[in-house]
Amino acid sequence: MGRGAQQGYEPTRRAMLAGGGALAASVGIAGCTAVTGPAPLRFWATSYEGDYSPLLMPDFTRATGIPVDVQSVPSTAAHEKMLTAQAGGALPDVMMLPSGWIGEFAMIGAVMPLPGPALAGDVVPGALAQTRIGDRCYGVPWSVAPMVQYYRRDLLAAAGYQAPPQDWASWRTMARALKRRRPDDFVLLSLLNWPDTLITMLFQTGATLLRDRDTRGNFRTPEAQAAFAFYLSLYREGLAPRALSTEVQDAVGAFAQGFYAIWPSWPTAMLDFERRKAEIPAAAWGIARMAGPDGPGPASRLDAALCVSATTPRPAAAWALVRHLTSAANELRFQRLIGNLPARQSAWTSPQLATPLIAPFAAQMREPNPAPRVLEWERIKIEMQLVAERIVRGLLTIDQGLAMIDTRVDAILAKRRALVDAGRIA
Amino acid sequence: MTRQSRAAWLFTAPVLAIIALVFVLPTVLALGLSVTDYSIYALADWSNLRFVGLGNFVDLLTTPLFWRALGNTALFAGLGVPMAIGASLAAALLLHDTTIWWKPLWRVALFAPYVTSVVATAIVWRFLLNTRFGLINYALGLIGIGPVDWLGDPHASIPAILIFVTWKIFGYNMIVFVAALSAVPQDLMEAARLDGASRWGRFRHVTLPAIGPTLLLAAVMSVAGFLQLFAEPYVMTMGGPAQSTVTVLYFMFDEGFKWWNLGQASAVALILFILILGVTIVQTRIGRRYEWL
Repeated sequence: MGRGAQQGYEPTRRAMLAGGGALAASVGIAGCTAVTGPAPLRFWATSYEGDYSPLLMPDFTRATGIPVDVQSVPSTAAHEKMLTAQAGGALPDVMMLPSGWIGEFAMIGAVMPLPGPALAGDVVPGALAQTRIGDRCYGVPWSVAPMVQYYRRDLLAAAGYQAPPQDWASWRTMARALKRRRPDDFVLLSLLNWPDTLITMLFQTGATLLRDRDTRGNFRTPEAQAAFAFYLSLYREGLAPRALSTEVQDAVGAFAQGFYAIWPSWPTAMLDFERRKAEIPAAAWGIARMAGPDGPGPASRLDAALCVSATTPRPAAAWALVRHLTSAANELRFQRLIGNLPARQSAWTSPQLATPLIAPFAAQMREPNPAPRVLEWERIKIEMQLVAERIVRGLLTIDQGLAMIDTRVDAILAKRRALVDAGRIA
Repeated sequence: MTRQSRAAWLFTAPVLAIIALVFVLPTVLALGLSVTDYSIYALADWSNLRFVGLGNFVDLLTTPLFWRALGNTALFAGLGVPMAIGASLAAALLLHDTTIWWKPLWRVALFAPYVTSVVATAIVWRFLLNTRFGLINYALGLIGIGPVDWLGDPHASIPAILIFVTWKIFGYNMIVFVAALSAVPQDLMEAARLDGASRWGRFRHVTLPAIGPTLLLAAVMSVAGFLQLFAEPYVMTMGGPAQSTVTVLYFMFDEGFKWWNLGQASAVALILFILILGVTIVQTRIGRRYEWL
C-alpha cells in the first residue's frame, strides 16, 4: 500500500486485495485463539478402540481442560501409516500400538520411555514384558487379547458336545461329527491370509521359530511340521473353507447363519455378537480356549499398549492422557463397551470379569507369549502365512513350504544378521 | 534471447520449478536410494545405511515374488489393454451410430464408473463376485455354468480383476473415441459405400486410419496405466489368492511403505520406469510406421 499512501488514498485493486487478505488473516487468528483454548492432544487408535475411545475423553477434558482429537486408524493399514507418520514427523501425541510393534517403534525413536515406574505398576503378568526394551518400558499396557475360540452352542449340542474338546485329536473328532451333520457348511473359519490360527498352533507344539540369536528361520523342525500338518488337515478334510478375508464380507453374519461353527478370534468379537444379537442370541454362542496337541497351551496374542510420541511438545499432558485411559475404572468401562480385557491387575478383582464368558480369557492370559521379539516378526508372520496358503492350495508340500519359509525368513533377517554380527544390536 | 522467448520462460518458470521440485528431485533421490540398503534400521540410525551398488537389482532378480509380480503385470497389461480398448471402441461405435436414441444419457451412464471412487466400486464388485451369493455367479448359473470362485481361485482372480478394471476405465477412452469418430470424413464414408465397400471394409479402410492417432494415444496411456495397476488388486484381493494378483507396483508398495525397505522399492521403481519407457518407445515406432504421429 506504499504507493497508495504517498499519493493519498487511491483504492487500487492490488491494495484492496492485500488489505482484504490481512483482514481475513487477522480474523482467522483471532477466531482460533478466542474459541479453542489449549490445542487438542492428538490420539490415534485402531479398530474398536479408535471408534469408542472418544467416549472416554469428556472425563479427561473436564478434569484437565485439554481437549483430545481422536483418530481411528484402520488396523490393516496402521503399520504403514504410523511408519510413514514417523518419517514425516506427523505422529500424534499419544498412540495405541500392538505390543509386538513397540520394539520397532522404540528403535526408530518414535516413542519415548515411561517417565517413571508408577505408570507400569499394577499390570497383569506378561503384558509389561512386551513393552520393555533393554531396561526401559516404552508403553503402558492397555488391553490383553489372547486368542480363544468362539463356538455355536446349538450346533455343537446337536452333535453331542457341550463345548469344543481341548486337545487336537478329540477336537477333530468333534469337527468331523459336525461336518457329517452339515456337509455343506464348515466347522472352522480361519482365513487363509490371517496367520494367527497357525501361529497359535506353532506356539502350542512348542516350536522355536527363529534360531542363531533370532537371525535365521527355524521352521524345519518336528514341532513346526506337526502344527502345519494339523492346520493343513483342517482344509483337506473340508472342515475349514479355503477363503481369504476379501471373500468373507461378513464373518459374524456367516457365523450366525451356521456357515461355520467355530471362530478363533479376540475379545472384541464379543462386541460384534452383542451388536448382532437379533441374528445370534447370547445363548447361541460360547467361548473356549484354543485346543492344543495335548490340551491348551500358549496362543497368539493381540495385546495393545499406549505410547507417547518422542517428539510431542506436551509430554506431561500426553502421559496424563495415558494415565487416564489406562486407569482400572476406564479399562473396565472399555470392557463393557467393546469387550476389550483390562491390562490393569486390580481391574481383574471386579465382579464384572468373573463371568463364565471371561474365564477362558483369564486362563489363557496366564500363558507365556512365545512370540520372538524381533522387529521383523510382523513381516515373518505374513510371509509364513503366504507359504501356508500355498500349502493349503496344494501348490507346495509341507516340507517344501517349511524350507521356503526358512529361505524367506533368512532373507528378511539379512539386515538384522549383519547388524548382530557387527555387534551393533543385540 | 528475444523478448518473446523471455516471456515464454517467465510464464513457464513456475510450473518448471514445481516439476523440478516435486518430480525431478524425488526421482533423482529415488535413484540414489536404489543403490543403498535403506531399511527401517536406517530410519533408526543413518549409520546403518550402506552403499550396495547394484545389490538391490541382483537381489530382485533372484526374488521369485518379483518375477511373479512381473508376470502378473504382463498378464494384466497383455489381456487388459486389448480388453479395455476393445470395449471402449465398441461402445464408441455403438454410440456413434445414427440409430441410437438418448445418446447423452448413454454417454453419462457409461462414463460414470470412471469418475466413481475405486474403493466404493471395488466393494460393490466384491459383492457381485462373491462365490455363494454373488450376482455374477447367479447369472452364470442361469446359463448352466457352475459357480466360479472368482476371488479365491488363483486362476480366476486375474480375470475377475480385469473385468472390474475394464468396466471401471473403458468410459474414458470411449469418450475420446466418440470425439475422434465424429471427425471421420463423411464424404469418404459415402464414397466407400457407393463403391460397394462392406461394413467391415469401411471400418478397416476409412474409420481406422482416421482414428489411428487417437488409438495410439489410448494404447500408450492404457499400457502405462496397466503396468502401474495397484489400487484394484489392493482393494479387491490384497494381492491374493496365493499372491496371484501381486503386481509390480503392489510389490513396490509392500516393500517400500509397509516394510520400509525403500532401497529395494526404489530399485523396483527404476525397473518399472525402464519397462514403461521401453514399451512406449516400441509403440511410437509402430505409430510412426503407420504415419499416425
